[in-house]
This record gives sequence, structure tokens and C-alpha cells, in this order.
Amino acid sequence: MNEFIYNISMWVDGTSWSAKLHESYYMYNWVESTHVLTLILCLGMLFVIDLRMLGYAFRDVSASSIANRLNIPMLLGFIIMFITGILLFYAVPIRTSQSIWFRFKMVLLVAAAINAFIFHKQMNESVSSWGNDARAPSAVRKGAFLSLAFWSIIVICGRLIAYDWFDCEYTDAGSLSQVLSGCIDGQTQF
Amino acid sequence: MNEESKSQRMMDDVQVAAVTVSASIIVFFVVYWVIQIQSVIDLLELAYG
Amino acid sequence: MLLSTSSDFNSRSKTITVGVLLTLLLIFSFSSLRHESWLRLYDFFLWLETTPFGVLGKTWGAVFAIVEAVHLLAMALLGGAVLISDARLLGWCFTDVPAVKIQNEAHKVFKVGLVVVLFTGVFMACGVAGKVYWLPVFWYKMLALATGIFFVFFIRRPMLQRNFRELNPWVVKLVAVSSMLVWITVAATGRWIGFAGS
Repeated sequence: MNEFIYNISMWVDGTSWSAKLHESYYMYNWVESTHVLTLILCLGMLFVIDLRMLGYAFRDVSASSIANRLNIPMLLGFIIMFITGILLFYAVPIRTSQSIWFRFKMVLLVAAAINAFIFHKQMNESVSSWGNDARAPSAVRKGAFLSLAFWSIIVICGRLIAYDWFDCEYTDAGSLSQVLSGCIDGQTQF
Repeated sequence: MNEESKSQRMMDDVQVAAVTVSASIIVFFVVYWVIQIQSVIDLLELAYG
Repeated sequence: MLLSTSSDFNSRSKTITVGVLLTLLLIFSFSSLRHESWLRLYDFFLWLETTPFGVLGKTWGAVFAIVEAVHLLAMALLGGAVLISDARLLGWCFTDVPAVKIQNEAHKVFKVGLVVVLFTGVFMACGVAGKVYWLPVFWYKMLALATGIFFVFFIRRPMLQRNFRELNPWVVKLVAVSSMLVWITVAATGRWIGFAGS
């Protein structure tokens, strides 16, 4: 699995646009800034939805109204973040794919997506009965709490990608950190 | 009547203040970002020709 | 005579305050006062790095990084509240919910976001005080932040707590647009600080 990821990253790294983006004067910075600043839109909407379900904000506004209307700007923000995220990976594929924080972040993104799917399904099925209550039923509240937790850790992991404490060249061969990061012997130094 | 006109005057006061501050924000925003973008363009021209 | 003057002042107090502050700001910005004040702040900024926040932030990169991530999360909360309330004022969303309700609820979320943003921001500033002191973009961010806070608590909140029907719709739209612009500037200049220092 690690070899597979490594090979794909090597292939991406070999493309000319990858190097161009990485070495660009401003483009990489703009892509990264867009990625970071768009989280204000995406997570801003998401947090308000989750806080509504937990009964901490906008208690007087119907829950389905909050969820359904804020969904659209949230998804717009998410799409922008997704595209810029891919571009950021594309610029620095090897180090990123071997970053333990990046890997953890991807796992959490999948978990957050599954959680969101379950949460929406539960909400749509039952909201007609509790939509105007201050708090959602406990199953929906659990989903909202998990959503807040997942996304908070995702942001922290995203920030920590830049730090090199667990990079392959600084950790011991065969250690758990190296296994989780997918460090391959004899890899190209970047 | 006195209460109403007092309330109306206070309303005008806060709206005038709002327009003043808002206009200042917008003017500053435009000037600041035009200058920043121009300096980025100049730097890119220097870097890439 | 005295009574009517004081009532005139009361009925124009916000306009007069804004006028005076704007004049003072312009005088400050375009005179030598600005540079002199900046010079006097140097020792204070050096001291900030010696505080527990500063030492913690400089010694443990992980702590600084996590505080920065929390800063981002709180920014999302603050930005979300700003976007929702401004979008409502512009008639873009929740038009079936009374504007006053949206404003009041969003303001509660805004305040929580602001407190966390300020706390984490001060923490980070302490860690890098010696560096940000020299960055013009840091000072622009502080100006934008101060403007934003003043705008919300002195102008926007008092204005929107009144009867909406009595407000000029164009003034409301102007307030919404400038609110978004000022907080976008705070966020963008904040990001720029990250680039300028490295």
C-alpha cells in the first residue's frame, strides 16, 4: 500500500506542472492562502449547523432551515478547498503523501464524510418532528458533536503538515512513525 | 411626539455615523488592496519579465 | 441654552464621536506621531516575548501550531457569523426569518469567536512579537481589527437593534458590505503575516 502511494507520488512529482507550482513565486502561496481562508466559509457554515443541532446557537430558527440553507455555501467552500487541496498535494506530492499528519487528515476526512452522510440521512428522516425544538434528538446531536470534533482535528492536522518532526529523514528506520508515514527505503530526497 | 422625534434623531445619528464609517472602510479597502496588488504585479514582472 | 446644546450633542453623539476619531486617525497616520508611537512600542514588544505566552510559543512549536489552528477554527466561527448576518441584511438568505432574530443569534456566535480569536491571537503575537513589530502588514491588521470591533459594537449593533423599518435600506446594505470587507481584510492580512515573516 505504501509502495503504491509512493509510486503515484513519484509519478506526480515527475510532471512539469508540479515543479512549476512548487517553485512559483506566488502561485503556491495563493493556492495555500485560498485553501486556508476558504475554511472560514466552509467550516463557518458547518459549525453553525452543528451548533444548531446541539442547541447552542440559532435555537429559535428551525433546524432544517439552518441545515438546508447553509449547506450550499458550505459545499461551495468545500469544493474550493478540495480543489486547492489537490493542487497543494500536486505541488509537493512525495513529502505530503509521507506526512503522518496528512495521512491522518485524509482518514479523518473520510470519517467526517461518512458521519455527514449518516447525519443528513437521520436528520432528513426525522426533522419534521423536532425541527423547531431548541435541540435535536440525541442521535443527531452525536453526529453534530462528532462533526465538530473531526473537523477541528482535521484543521489541526492540516496545520501540522508543515512541521517536520515526523518526516522520514528524521525518524528511525522501522519505527511506528515510519510505518504509518509510509517511508520507503532508498526514496528520492526532495 | 418629543420621544418620537428624539428617537428619530438618534436613528439619523447612528445612520450618519454608520455611513461615515462604512464609506471609510470601503475607501481604505480599495486603496490598500489596489496598492498591494500593484506591488505584487511589479514583483512578478521583475521575477518573470 | 445649555440643555439644548447637551441634547443636541446626545442626538449627534455617535456622528461626532466618529468624526473626531476619524480626524484623529488621519492626523495620526500622516504625521510623525505614527512613527514616534511605533518607536515607543519597541520595548513593550520585546517584553511580550518574555511573557509565559511568549516563552511557551517560542519553545514549543507544537503549542504554537495548535494555538494557531484554534485561531483558525475561531476565525471560522467569527466569519460564519459575519457572513450569515451580512447575507441576511443583503437579503441573500433566511429572508423568511426576521432579520432581528438572525442578527441577535449571529452576534452571540460572533462574540464567542471574537474572544477566542483575540486570546489565541495575543498568544501567538507574544511568541513572535519581535518579528511582527517590524511588519507593516501586522499593523494594518491591527488597524483593521480595531476598526472591525469598533464598527460592530459602536455602530452596527446599536443600529440593528432599532426598528428595521425605520432604517434606510441603502444604509443597511452599506453596513453589510463594509462589515464583510473589514473582516475579510483582517483575515487576509493575518495570512499575509505568515508569509511576510518567513
